[in-house]
Amino acid sequence: MAHLEADVRTAVAEAVYRASMALDAKEFGAFFALCDDSFHYLITAHSPEIRKDMTWLEHDRKGLETLIVNLPKHNSDHSPITRHVTVYTVEVAADGASAKVVSALQVFRTTLDGGVTELFAVGKMYDTVKITEAGPKLAHRRIHLDTRMLGIGYHVPF
Amino acid sequence: MTRNSAQWHQKPNFPNSHFVDTRIYTDDVLFREEQEKIFNKVWVIACHESEVPNIHDYRTFNHPGGAKLIVTRGEDNKVRSFYNICPHRGNTLLYDPVGNAKRITCIFHAWSFDTKGNCIDISRGKAGYQDRYGCDDAGLREVRAEIGFGGFVWVNVDDNASSLADYIGPAMELLGPNLNEPLEVFHYHKAVVDTNYKLWHDTNSEFYHDYMHYFNRATGMMQPGYFDRKYTGYPNGHASVGSMSIKYDAYEGSQARAVGWPGLAPGGWVLIDLFPGMTYNLRTSVLRMDTAIPLGPNKLLIEFRGLGLKSDTPEQRAERIRDHNTIWGPFGRNLHEDLLGVYGQGVAMNTGTDSKWVIHGREENSTIHDEIGMRHFYAEWSRRMERPAFDPYGDNKIGKLERAA
Repeated sequence: MAHLEADVRTAVAEAVYRASMALDAKEFGAFFALCDDSFHYLITAHSPEIRKDMTWLEHDRKGLETLIVNLPKHNSDHSPITRHVTVYTVEVAADGASAKVVSALQVFRTTLDGGVTELFAVGKMYDTVKITEAGPKLAHRRIHLDTRMLGIGYHVPF
Repeated sequence: MTRNSAQWHQKPNFPNSHFVDTRIYTDDVLFREEQEKIFNKVWVIACHESEVPNIHDYRTFNHPGGAKLIVTRGEDNKVRSFYNICPHRGNTLLYDPVGNAKRITCIFHAWSFDTKGNCIDISRGKAGYQDRYGCDDAGLREVRAEIGFGGFVWVNVDDNASSLADYIGPAMELLGPNLNEPLEVFHYHKAVVDTNYKLWHDTNSEFYHDYMHYFNRATGMMQPGYFDRKYTGYPNGHASVGSMSIKYDAYEGSQARAVGWPGLAPGGWVLIDLFPGMTYNLRTSVLRMDTAIPLGPNKLLIEFRGLGLKSDTPEQRAERIRDHNTIWGPFGRNLHEDLLGVYGQGVAMNTGTDSKWVIHGREENSTIHDEIGMRHFYAEWSRRMERPAFDPYGDNKIGKLERAA
């Protein structure tokens, strides 16, 4: 049984990694293929200045898909970003139907001419993953950013 | 038809009030002068009263004139501001952006101050200074502070400046009915961008750049009433833009803003630009406040706040946050575009790029795509700087101001 649970943990972690690779490549179809229909996405941060937790972006799956579809209609910084993810923990639920994943997230941004790569943001990623016959599916993702100064910002979710 | 170098540098074929020399955005001498002649003379927003809600709460603030400030609420519930510097050896007194301190004690040599700025203890004072120097000589430098216009904490480092009410004058009347209830900040973030503060204020002072925003084109420019919005200029360089009804659900993924705002018509949008770098932007359900804090001629820190009503239910607050984030959060559709725009200006006009002029020449009876808002700003800038924005060093040799904006 232990090796079966290890297999599940590996598959869950790999799904998290594949999701980041898909977003890096802006292969949004591949990203959404890794998401459950109930997918819910948030970016949060804490502001000591106003003594409050803040939500900076929140969408259900449909809302996130619409946001992506609308991207070409907007003027955006096209500097590519690279997500460096390290899965810290995978806790599989007792019924084996889901897992909670905590990962470290670092986002690097590379200038359009490839000249400079700088650390854009750091934070942690808190995922809930459904374990289905079709493989692990992201059901809930909250990215909590330690970095609160993002310069001109970005149109693509982390 | 392209232009050669001489033509590129030639005075634009507009009145001198309708263009500026791009050195005003890049020149270090002018920037230092702006700090002295503008930022150290005017009222600026340091924070919101909801950021220091309790007795002894404090907030630190980097004043655009250069001084580091403390804003603190005293035992008497009064909000005061002081230089964040120990009068002894010049150390920073408070390091955290926010906190609660009954006594402000310098970490260096433990000199201590109360929330009224009085020195209350000099460690081993008598032993070292005898009767030559004591707490009466070592009070903090107090800066004038007033709360007003939506509960913001305003500061002015000029002891001789007129009152906040005199400085604002009638500029806030358009928002008067909308700011009667206590407000609360629910969003705060900062951005540092390589650009000039005036370029950010310009972006908040002209709507012609709605062509950059798909969201604004769909929900505003394509809707009735958009081209009827009018600019009004006020004394001291302030300006306002009247309302219209925004059709938020015209943007796929957005929706009608149901939660609304007291005194504002459904879908309403009122914007007030206050000289030299603050903007009240009330869009239906959220008040956004921008505060521009220049760090150099081509380096700008902007503080972004989103505010709702202090009386909000959790459901109302959640709606305001959602409405805010759609366009104004760090991942919002409009804010990123605006910042990308001024960053591009900072790159294109920086020192050594051979940029020369920026044109503010649109005249449309003061309606939404008229560039009178910027002309009004630069008339005040020129007055305070005692330099015309079209010729800050007098070497363009293109005459005097031909026509007031």
